[in-house]
Amino acid sequence: MAANFASKRLSKELNKINGQLPPGISLVKAEDFQEWLLDIKVLDSNPIYLNQTYRLKFKFSPSYPIEPPEVTFLLCPDRPIPMHPHIYSNGIICLDLLGQQGWSPVQNVESICMSLQSMLTGNTKNERPEGDQQFVANNRRRPRDIDFYYHDNTV
Amino acid sequence: MAGQDTAADPAKALECKEKGNKCFQAGDYHGAEELYSKAISYDPTNPLLYTNRTLALLKLHRFPLAITLSQQCISLSPPPSISLKAHFQLAQAQIALHHPSEALESAKIAHSLCVEEVIVGGKGANNIGPITELVLRCKKELWELREEERLRSRPSLLNELVAGLERDREAYISVLRAEGKGKDVEIESVKERYKGKIGELRRTFELAGVNGEEGKRRKVPDWCLDDITFSVMLDPVVTKTGQSYDRSSIMEHLKRSPTDPLTREPLRVEDLRPNLALKAACEEFLEENGWAVDW
Repeated sequence: MAANFASKRLSKELNKINGQLPPGISLVKAEDFQEWLLDIKVLDSNPIYLNQTYRLKFKFSPSYPIEPPEVTFLLCPDRPIPMHPHIYSNGIICLDLLGQQGWSPVQNVESICMSLQSMLTGNTKNERPEGDQQFVANNRRRPRDIDFYYHDNTV
Repeated sequence: MAGQDTAADPAKALECKEKGNKCFQAGDYHGAEELYSKAISYDPTNPLLYTNRTLALLKLHRFPLAITLSQQCISLSPPPSISLKAHFQLAQAQIALHHPSEALESAKIAHSLCVEEVIVGGKGANNIGPITELVLRCKKELWELREEERLRSRPSLLNELVAGLERDREAYISVLRAEGKGKDVEIESVKERYKGKIGELRRTFELAGVNGEEGKRRKVPDWCLDDITFSVMLDPVVTKTGQSYDRSSIMEHLKRSPTDPLTREPLRVEDLRPNLALKAACEEFLEENGWAVDW
């Protein structure tokens, strides 16, 4: 496949994003077709996420959208890592949509942001995944190479 | 032709071809081209030698000769996978020389041969992406040519209409003058009236121009876009969910994951059906909106 496969699609996504984004999602930086930054907010009154903004880092491979992008929360001043039983304190997200199995090329940057918004909105547990400290201390793999378990449907 | 003074020798031809392949892999396209040319002179009936030489010629940007060679290859009625390659190369050379309508013809043949390959699982199927891209590029360049022609002819049509109005005005005035003195006020009002008409005519043309360029230009309807590449579809195929994708992009997805992108149910290449009505609609849309290839 041509090397510009990802850039072509991303330039179209960018066109659309520059026009309009759903509420609570805003573009921070998209200077190339390798890495974008976006901010998301949770819109309802869930006390865990009230009045907070979170920063997402998207990394795209040349075969995006056939391959999923790598999406993590990024810790910055005023941008904490949201509390969630599927989000590690280093920003790595465990979401089937972003895994090799759950990904579909009809997803896009906007739909991923919306899925993450709703993943936060629906959460009531103010906690990290089990074994967070150990995972954060030991993990050297990239998020895409980690096999998460998606057995927990309660969150 | 070089072949006429050389005795046929297929073994020697293959030897030259192998050497040519080595040069080609090393990036020595000049060397490769010469060796393939020699190979053809030893065996002018082997179509594969022609596509190899054409590939080297394309790398060297020797497009006119590439056209000749790929046409010679096609005239040998090679098997489909080679014919596919020859038509694809022919189209590339033709578009490089800015002959979009010939290139579109060749690229369309390459595309339909490629779809056959996809169905039988031949190795030519891998070209579906680049061929799809080339067909779309040809369509865009054709549209650009027509658009240029349209813009060029419009000022002259406008000028003709303005000249017609001016003739009418002069005729009117000369009639009034012939009627005698005291018509100055009436003559002035005729002049004013025609000035208004000509102004309105110019504004109308301008407006049409603006709408043609800008108003219509910027909107691609969602129904003609592929949900994987976000590009206008050339060869839409439908899955059992009713959703259509361009053949080239769903093929790329199925290589990685044999599932329906919407439902994740199992999906195989054989399950795809062409969506002919949508194909015709996309074609018609591109005919009028060639810019949409690069929106």
